[in-house]
Amino acid sequence: MFRSNYVIASLVAVPCMGASIFACSTAIPHGPGRGDRNATPAPVGSDGLPTNSSSPTVPSLPGTTPNSPGGMPGEIISTQACNAPLAPSAPLRRLTRFEYNNTLRDLANITDNPANPFPSEESGNGFGNDAASQSVPDILAEKYISAAASIASTLTDPVNVGKLASCASGPLVGDEVPCVQSVIDSFVARAYRRAVQPAEAQGLIQLFQKVRVHETFTSSLTAVLEAVLQGPEFLYKPEFGEPVAGRTDVLRPTGDEMAVRLSYLFLGSMPDDALRQAAVRGELQTPAGVQAQAQRLLADPRARQVTAFFFDNLLPIAALSALERDKTLFPAWNAHIGSLMRQETQAFLDHEIFEGPGTWPGMFTAKYTYLNDELATYYGIAGVSGSSFQQVALDGVKRGGLLTQGGMVAGPIHSNPTNPVTRGALVVKKLLCQSIPLPTGAVLAQVKVPEPNSAPTARQRFSAHSSQPVCTGCHSNLDPVGFALENFDAVGQWRDQENGVTIDASGNSPLLGAFSGPVELGQRVAESPEAEQCFARRWTEFGYGRVSGERDACALQSTWEKFKGAGYNVKNLLLQLTETDTFNYLPAVRE
Amino acid sequence: MNLFGKNKLHRRTLLTGAGSIALALPWLECMGEKKLAHAQAGTTARRFLSVFQPGGTIADQYWPSGTPEAPILSPILKPLEAMKSKLLVLRGLDMKCAVGEQHQAGIIGFLTGSTQGPETTVLTDGGYSYYPSIDQIIATKISKNIKAKASLQMAVRWATGASHGLLHPINAANFEDSANLAPIPPRLDPQQIFDDLFGSLTPAVAPAPGANTAPLERKKSILDFVMARYTKLSARLGPNDRAKLEQHLTKIRELELGLSKGPVGSATCRAPVRVDTTGYDPTTGLNSNEEGSIVDISTDSMIPTVGKFMMDMMVMALACDITAVGSLQWSDTEAKHTFPWLNLNNHQHAYEHDDSAGGMAACTTIATWYSEMHNYLLGAMDQVDMGGHTLLDESVVFFGSELSVPPTHMKENMPFLLAGQGGGLRGGRLLNFNGTSHNNLLVSILNLFGDPRTSCGDPQFCTGALSGIA
Repeated sequence: MFRSNYVIASLVAVPCMGASIFACSTAIPHGPGRGDRNATPAPVGSDGLPTNSSSPTVPSLPGTTPNSPGGMPGEIISTQACNAPLAPSAPLRRLTRFEYNNTLRDLANITDNPANPFPSEESGNGFGNDAASQSVPDILAEKYISAAASIASTLTDPVNVGKLASCASGPLVGDEVPCVQSVIDSFVARAYRRAVQPAEAQGLIQLFQKVRVHETFTSSLTAVLEAVLQGPEFLYKPEFGEPVAGRTDVLRPTGDEMAVRLSYLFLGSMPDDALRQAAVRGELQTPAGVQAQAQRLLADPRARQVTAFFFDNLLPIAALSALERDKTLFPAWNAHIGSLMRQETQAFLDHEIFEGPGTWPGMFTAKYTYLNDELATYYGIAGVSGSSFQQVALDGVKRGGLLTQGGMVAGPIHSNPTNPVTRGALVVKKLLCQSIPLPTGAVLAQVKVPEPNSAPTARQRFSAHSSQPVCTGCHSNLDPVGFALENFDAVGQWRDQENGVTIDASGNSPLLGAFSGPVELGQRVAESPEAEQCFARRWTEFGYGRVSGERDACALQSTWEKFKGAGYNVKNLLLQLTETDTFNYLPAVRE
Repeated sequence: MNLFGKNKLHRRTLLTGAGSIALALPWLECMGEKKLAHAQAGTTARRFLSVFQPGGTIADQYWPSGTPEAPILSPILKPLEAMKSKLLVLRGLDMKCAVGEQHQAGIIGFLTGSTQGPETTVLTDGGYSYYPSIDQIIATKISKNIKAKASLQMAVRWATGASHGLLHPINAANFEDSANLAPIPPRLDPQQIFDDLFGSLTPAVAPAPGANTAPLERKKSILDFVMARYTKLSARLGPNDRAKLEQHLTKIRELELGLSKGPVGSATCRAPVRVDTTGYDPTTGLNSNEEGSIVDISTDSMIPTVGKFMMDMMVMALACDITAVGSLQWSDTEAKHTFPWLNLNNHQHAYEHDDSAGGMAACTTIATWYSEMHNYLLGAMDQVDMGGHTLLDESVVFFGSELSVPPTHMKENMPFLLAGQGGGLRGGRLLNFNGTSHNNLLVSILNLFGDPRTSCGDPQFCTGALSGIA
């Protein structure tokens, strides 16, 4: 149900075609990823195609509109969504592996990433933290238990036990229970991220005493910690809220609960002492208090790890060191260059957001990047010395902006020749949030891998996409974007020609308009409302651990409007995530 | 290498033949299973194993010739010759339920008979299953709260490509037999699996400081406390959130029940040889990219070693009554990894789409290798004596893929194999079902376990059990 009078996502209709795509009868250059040398370029989507060989009908899935323009569920931002906002959803959230690791680091100085053996999260919203898809498979329940046992043993070994409480190294018999109580008041309260209620403490002490009948003080204390670390108070983020004056549909998170929301949003970890104290003082019950803490947390170095995690999941930079390329064709390329490219993009985004002007459109037009001598030489940029990354001015002709960074153009390529479709898909799907339906049925059956060396340039090799109506609908959105990046080869180096033919890097897409070359493409993306809206949406989904749905429409709208009002400043966007109903309330009726 | 040696091992030799490791262990309650194992070769199957192989097969190299009662194995199935008498080749089954994204719907429907659910985000192209998978249905019936673990899922070189190491509709085959029907992530790390399953059969890990000789009591005290916390908290929550905690609580309860059912060393049940898997990164999928251009040659080279090690562990998990239900997944439906030991240095998905002679030859080579691996598994199961019959004899092993024809991704005439004699399954045959929905096979498998139902998965694709498999 769209409660909108206008819809930003579909202001520009994406003319992807529906049922008529079955009409095609000619071989279409849709191919698989091919990592071998001399491989044929292959467009995206050959392996993600909604079809069923037994039944040529595309199933009508509830809540989706296959093949409709921008037709992904919940994609809509409505200007009226906030006139009568729906009570936000606040599903029970469980710590992700990222959060569990960070929490143990901050809670107990456990730095060996104890959650890494946990099973894979469900991909959900693309960041693996979608609350709705969190299930507890057998292996996870098992791993929670074994991790708790291992961590508890570490915390109570002779080196560490004294850190829990000064008494814990070896209390006199009569002092044991008070000592356990002091561990509860300090460590357990931090693990629970709130004060431990007297009845809860009593339960923990009873557990201690039960084990103590047979075992030593230390082993019994270990058992208490083991129980705490696998309990729901630690593994989950339960919220009960408190009443809000004048509202019957929503509750406000308590101070402790708001501290948890803030801390995991900005730090991916448990609240620190200052945040807990602010909660105790009631400061988190006012927008000003929340905002003050949000600003403080965003200035914490750990916030940079959270944004890095976000971008590693959004952009194709996480595994650049493992790209396979033909060494004879690309002698300068190696895994080390790949890792430097990742550092380039990470350093650029980190600097731009936390020290620079930090607007999202600005990322696409920045006339600088971060390089060291080795990567600068690789790019053919003179005047950089030293192995540390440093800000380097760019000419704004060949390079300038995020899309011209090596990782962004090499990461989506899976063959020695470049592929305009996969590069286009990165921009259109990930950065513009456009849903491009994948070819189906009869079209799929005719998909052929293009002949190697069938034409000197990618534009020519992929000409079927513009000459055949069955392809044009979708590919007119994808391919031109990729054409603009064709001056970058498969390893991110600049080239003027491909196979002796001068590259035509001009393009025109229904979404972005006309452009020529990578720098202009970046400018078009920077000007695109879809790009800004998409970025806000991606952060909303990651920040709230959700897939945005109808009940997030108002949060998305207000966030987007404030993002726009603040000149699309990224830090501002993160701060604005704390100002929505979704962040500030939970539904009065428990769900 | 066959770790089970040439001689069949007799459970009966337990008291006299147990190794020193086994004798050093406390005597637990596991022998409750003894009665079951010694019961007459039953009318119902006792163990279920599913094996998923990505990417279909090459029909003209796959289907046996000969007669239904005397099939002559094809080149691809030839490696299974030794197991032929216990192998039932199922021809003419169509995966009609596989409506959805072409790979995802295939793996989701494989064990569920379900169409693919709706996507929740643009990033997945589709959702999961509307029905539980049959391994979980079987686990509920014969394994959960009876064996130490309800079921085991293992995967080799999993979550390649676009799933980036995460659980995703493109790599999920098993679905909870409970209200949430959640996809189940497989275990990936062979060394961790070894420790988890067989740690108690090998020299014990260091006990907690000051722990005495009653670790079970201690664990139970802790779990009882924890379960009380989950119960208390879930009572305060709304129905959706409560369901999450209750699922968690149920799993803890099952684990607690399993505490007293740990494996007991015997002549039948002994830890497999721990295999060195150095060079294998079980979470290499986290580094994958959508196009498969990221190649981890070190990990890919170790696939045969790790695969055999996982099969060894799966067989012993069944033989030791750690569980009665297992699933082994070779990669996922993207299969974006290479096969260095076969001199295939592109990834499987690329070969699937390459309908040239070279591509199809590669697919044949890959499918043939999977037959070799399956032969290893069935052979290992057939080496374990459960008291007059082998582990394989009392089991049903279902081997299949998510599609039949690689380049078109068609799902007609699926390459499905059953093995074992559980429930009276009769091997040594080739049956042709001429376009019957594979949901009917799923019902038939459930029936072999004494589950009387007449429909499985989406009822629109199910008309009842296949005839003639038992």
